[in-house]
Amino acid sequence: MDNSIVISTPPHVKSKRTTRGIMLDVCIALLPCAIAGIVYFGWLALMLELVAVVACVATEFVYYFIANKGFANKCKDAGKVCLRWWKQFDFTSVVTGLILALILPATTQWYEILIGSIFAIAIVKMLFGGTGKNLVNPAAAGRVFMAISFTAVTTYTAANIGSLSIQTPVFSGATNLSWLLSGEHNPVSGLPVLDLFLGTGVAGCIGETCKLAIIVGYIYLCVRGVIKWWQPLLFIVVFGFAAVFMSGFAFIATGGYIFDMELFLPHLFSGGVLFGAVFMFPDYVTSPKGVYGQILYYIVAGILVAVLRYFTKLEVTSFVIMLMNLFVPLIDKYLIRKPFGYKKVKKVKEKKTPDERVAEAVDALKVDETAAAKPKHGTKTENTEKSPAASVQSVGVDVKSDKEEA
Amino acid sequence: MKAVKGKYLFGGVHPKGKKELTASLPIEVMPTPEVVAVSTSQSLGKSAVVAVTVGQKVKEGEVIAKADGAISSDVFASVAGTVTEIKELTGANGDKETFIFIKAEGTDTFRFPALTSPTAEEIKARIKDCGIVGLGGAGFPTAVKVAPKTPVDILCVNGAECEPYLTCDHRLMVEKTDEIVRGARLIATALGVKDIAIGIEKNKPDAIAAFEPYEDIKVIILGKKYPLGGERQLAYAITGRRIPQGKIPAEYGVVVHNVGTCYAVCEAVEQGKPLYEKVLTVSGTAVKEPKNLLVKVGTSVKEIIEYCGGEATNPKKVVQGGPMTGVALANYEHYTHKTTSGILLLSEKEAAADEPTPCLNCGKCADVCPMHLMPMNTAFYSAAGDFDAAQKYGNVLSCIECGACEYICPAKRPLIQAIRKTKAELRKKN
Repeated sequence: MDNSIVISTPPHVKSKRTTRGIMLDVCIALLPCAIAGIVYFGWLALMLELVAVVACVATEFVYYFIANKGFANKCKDAGKVCLRWWKQFDFTSVVTGLILALILPATTQWYEILIGSIFAIAIVKMLFGGTGKNLVNPAAAGRVFMAISFTAVTTYTAANIGSLSIQTPVFSGATNLSWLLSGEHNPVSGLPVLDLFLGTGVAGCIGETCKLAIIVGYIYLCVRGVIKWWQPLLFIVVFGFAAVFMSGFAFIATGGYIFDMELFLPHLFSGGVLFGAVFMFPDYVTSPKGVYGQILYYIVAGILVAVLRYFTKLEVTSFVIMLMNLFVPLIDKYLIRKPFGYKKVKKVKEKKTPDERVAEAVDALKVDETAAAKPKHGTKTENTEKSPAASVQSVGVDVKSDKEEA
Repeated sequence: MKAVKGKYLFGGVHPKGKKELTASLPIEVMPTPEVVAVSTSQSLGKSAVVAVTVGQKVKEGEVIAKADGAISSDVFASVAGTVTEIKELTGANGDKETFIFIKAEGTDTFRFPALTSPTAEEIKARIKDCGIVGLGGAGFPTAVKVAPKTPVDILCVNGAECEPYLTCDHRLMVEKTDEIVRGARLIATALGVKDIAIGIEKNKPDAIAAFEPYEDIKVIILGKKYPLGGERQLAYAITGRRIPQGKIPAEYGVVVHNVGTCYAVCEAVEQGKPLYEKVLTVSGTAVKEPKNLLVKVGTSVKEIIEYCGGEATNPKKVVQGGPMTGVALANYEHYTHKTTSGILLLSEKEAAADEPTPCLNCGKCADVCPMHLMPMNTAFYSAAGDFDAAQKYGNVLSCIECGACEYICPAKRPLIQAIRKTKAELRKKN
C-alpha cells in the first residue's frame, strides 16, 4: 500500500463512456454523409468540410489560448498550454465544423464557410462558456448567419455521381423542396422517391442529399446509445403528417382540400429535415433533459418546421432548430419529472350533509350576533332572518374558501 | 414455487458485474483475529452505550454496548477475551466512533436459549435481544422493521445483490438456502403475513434454482440492473407498488428484508446466537486471492487483506462495501461492522478517478435515475449555492444516493457529492 490511494464519494466504478468518446461516435456517424457528399459534389465538398473542421478547431484553440488568464505567461510555455488544451479537447468543435459543412450547398465559397465557422465557435459557443453552455446549436446558428449574410448559400447544385468538378447546371433555389412547396403538384416534374432517397440528381446541401447515409449514421448512433432511437422518429412522423396536412391547403385554389399521403415521403426526403432530425435536434447541449420535455420539444419542432416551410417556401430547419433551442431552458424549468411513487396530493373537500351545514351556519350566525351586538344595517339582519337558506349557502362558501387559502 | 419475472423498472444502469471473481468460491471461515475493535455505532440511529470497562473479561456473544433508544441496536463481543481499551477513532465515513478493543483469550461463548416454535412476540423480542440490523447495507434495526404500525401483507426478501463485485449474499443463498427460508418464515410469523417473495437477479441461476423447491416462497427473477436491490425498487419489481421517498414501505403493506438478515434471524431464534459475524466479499483485481469470508465484527481490514494473500498490485481505491455506494478508505486501519458487505481493492484500471469535464446537459443522469429525479439540476443549482432551487428542480430530498447518475455521466461530474452537500445544507436550514 502506498500513497497513491484515492478517496472520494461513491460510486467507485464508472462507465467508460466519456464526452470525447461520444463526440467521436458522432464524428463516425457523420462520416457516411461526408463521404456521400464528396461522391456527389466532388472535391469541392471535401475542401469545404476540411476548411470548416480546421477553422472550428483552430478558433476554439485560439479562444482557449487567449481567454485563460495570464496571456503573457501562456506565450512563454505554449507547449504546456497546447498539452492542456489537448487534454480537455473533446471533439465538439470537430462535430460542429463537420455539421456546418454538411448543411451548406457545394457552391459555398471557402471564405464564407471560414467566416461561418469562426462565428459558430467563437460567438455562439465559446462566448457563452464553451462546451455544454451554448444556448443554441452552433452549427445551426452558423448556417443561419451565413444564409442571411451570403446570398450564394441559397443556390444549389445537383448531385451527380462521378462529376468531380462543378460543371453541372446551378439551380438557383430550384431544389426539389422549392418545387414541393410551390404547390404545383405535378408528378412528372417531381423527382422519384428513390432518387430523393439516394440523392442522385437532387439539388441540395452536401450532407443532406443522400438520405441513405443519414440513416446509416442514425443506426450507428442508436446502436452506440448516443441518441434515443425514438427522438428522430417522433420528430419525423410529426413533421411528415404536419407537412402533408399543410400542403393540402395549396389545392384549395384549384378545387378543395386534399390530404395526400403520397407527399409524405417527398416532404421527408426534401431539404435538411432528416439530417436535422438525426444530427442536430438531438444535440445534447441544446435539447431538453427530461423525457416529457423531449417529447414536447420534438412534437412542437416537427409542427413548426412544417408550418413555417409552407408559409415561407424556404428551407427553415436551421431556423427552427435555433428557435426551439431558445425554448429549452423554459421547457426544462417547467416540465420536471415527478419522483418515483409521487402522487399529487388531492385537496380533500369535506362533504357535509345539508343538516350539518344548516347547524354550522346557525352557529356562525349566533357568533356574528354576539360579536356585533348592535347590527348597523337593519336590512342585513332582516335578510338573514327571512331567508336562512341563502345565508347558509354564503357561509358555506366562505368556510370553503378559508380552507383553500389555508 | 416456480420462478416468475418481476416488473420492469425504468432507469437503472448496467455496470460490469465482476462477480465471476468470487461467485463460485464457497464461504470460508476466517480464523479468530488476536484483537478485535468493535464500534458502538453499528446501525442507523444512535450509537450504543458502552456497558463494559477496561480489563473486564467478556464471553463471545456477550453484550458490550447497550442500545440507546428505539432506533439503535445492542453490540456484542465477537471474541471471548479481555477488554483492553475503549477509545474514540475516526470511522470509515469520517465520523467519530467509539471502539471497544478486545484481546482474544479462550473460547467462552454466550448464547440465548434456543426457541422451538416461538410466537410472534418471542421472535420480536429475540430479534431485539440479538441486535439484528438490516444487513443489506443501511443497517436499520430489524426490531423496528418487524413491528410496523400499519398492516402488512407481503414480506419481500432481498436477494438481488445488484452491486458489482459483491457475492456474499449470492453464496449465502446457495449454501444456506434452508436457513434463509426458515428465517424468512420466522420474520413472516413475527409480522403476521403469509406471502413471502424473494427477488433474485437473473445472473444468479443457481440461487434461483435453490429457492424454487420451497412451495411457500415466491421466487421473482429480476433483470440484471443496478439498483434493483434498493428497497423501493425491489418492492416495486415484486409487488408493483410505488413507494415514494419519505414513506416507509410498511405504509404500503410491504416489508423488505435482506437474505443476510433472514439468515441472522434464523440463527438468533434457533441457536440463540447474537449478531457478531458477517459474511463479506473480498474482491477486486488488486487483491491476490479474492474470497467470500465469514469474519467477526471488528476484524481489522488489514488482517482481512493479509488473510487473502495481500495486495496483487497497488490499489487505487480501497472500498468498504459495494463499489456503487461503499465508503472509500484512506488506509487499512479500519474495522468491519455488522453491515460491512465487502472489502474491495480496486486497481488503477477499475477505479474511477477521472477529472470531471463540463456538463453536457445530455440528461443521461435523469434517464437512469431509479427515483425519476433530475440530478443535473441539483448539481447546477447547488454549485450556484441556491439549495432551494436544487430541491425544487432536482427533487434532491427524494434521492436514494444509489450512484447510478454518476456512474453513467460521460462528463464524470461529481453528482453524488453535490447531492449530499445539498441535502446537508437543506437539513441545516430546516
